[in-house]
Amino acid sequence: MDPGLFEETVLPHLNAAYNLSRWMTRNSDDAEDAVQEAYLKAFRSFQNCKATTPEETRAWVLAIVRNTCLTWLRRKGAAPTTEFNEETHSGRELTPGGESVMLSQAAADRLNGCVEALPPEFREVIVLREIEELPYKEVAGIAGVPIGTIMSRLARARRRLQDCMTARSRTA
Amino acid sequence: MSCEIARRLMESGESAAAIQTHTASCLSCAIGENTSYYEAPAGLEEKIRASLATERHRPSRRNWWAAAAVALLVVSGTLTVDLVRQSGNAMETAILSAHLRSLEGTHLLDVPSSDQHTVKPWFNGKLDFSPAVPSFPDFPLLGGRLEYFEAHPAAALIYDRGQHMINLFIWHVNGSTLEKTWTSNGYHVICWAKDRMNYCAVSDVNAAELDRFAALYRAN
Repeated sequence: MDPGLFEETVLPHLNAAYNLSRWMTRNSDDAEDAVQEAYLKAFRSFQNCKATTPEETRAWVLAIVRNTCLTWLRRKGAAPTTEFNEETHSGRELTPGGESVMLSQAAADRLNGCVEALPPEFREVIVLREIEELPYKEVAGIAGVPIGTIMSRLARARRRLQDCMTARSRTA
Repeated sequence: MSCEIARRLMESGESAAAIQTHTASCLSCAIGENTSYYEAPAGLEEKIRASLATERHRPSRRNWWAAAAVALLVVSGTLTVDLVRQSGNAMETAILSAHLRSLEGTHLLDVPSSDQHTVKPWFNGKLDFSPAVPSFPDFPLLGGRLEYFEAHPAAALIYDRGQHMINLFIWHVNGSTLEKTWTSNGYHVICWAKDRMNYCAVSDVNAAELDRFAALYRAN
């Protein structure tokens, strides 16, 4: 095996890996540790990786990151209630365009908090589909469930987000 | 933008106004645009590269044959050391022996860590000095180990240079300092002394690279 191949093909997906890990673990220290652990696992099983395209490699490593994060969450016990930290939710830069919709900063903060509050199986589909913008097929591959399951989880996750947003805007 | 309705509106050539009417009230359209994207923090890639380098040097059961081959090399290395012993002085022999022995797989790292804040405290209580434990982008730290020279404890810091390993030995000057550079059986050794401490870097990496490493460490 070419010693540099892993670095060349898997390291470019580090941002996607970290984004998923950060959303799943909900804090930056755990996110970093989980990504490191996942990359070491990936390296050890690299010879079993059948991916031939960057997209397949991304799905392969994100599946390992996802499983590592879920194990991490289980190890830490029942989903902890995290304080919502406004500083960490800077929001991304938006290019203005007819098809994009900008929420107010307060509403965007509420939305980030609501995504964090989702149970892991809903949170991961929102992160992979809506934030990382991966195709349904790839999300299904990463979560190890059929596409139909992803679609229904996504619909339920959106409903939960809508409810959460409504509830939080009422109390705000 | 991953909202199916918005995508279909756009594909069917609806006006911007019609699309905006939809997006203004659609949560799906809002999620992707209004949530944080967390990019990997600076330094994470470097940490992963360092842990991969450590992993490459760690013999696994699958690498049993590779380990056996290394053991054979060590045996032949020990023979060469015997030859060296006849010509060089005892200290020079001890340094090269320590380097060769460390390549024997199971004895390279007592504390495998790319994190200097893990390696440095590990030496507490084992040495009567606290060595500087920097890591460099071109020479990532792999970990540390305890060695003995002339019955005195020495710190061994292990650095990675693209499949080559560098042992840096640090110990108290007991008697005369060892300040010289030599090559023996394909291994380069650079020794210097500073503040009553001896430093010796040993590796099979080329002499210029080892020189660069020694300069980096000394400048640290």
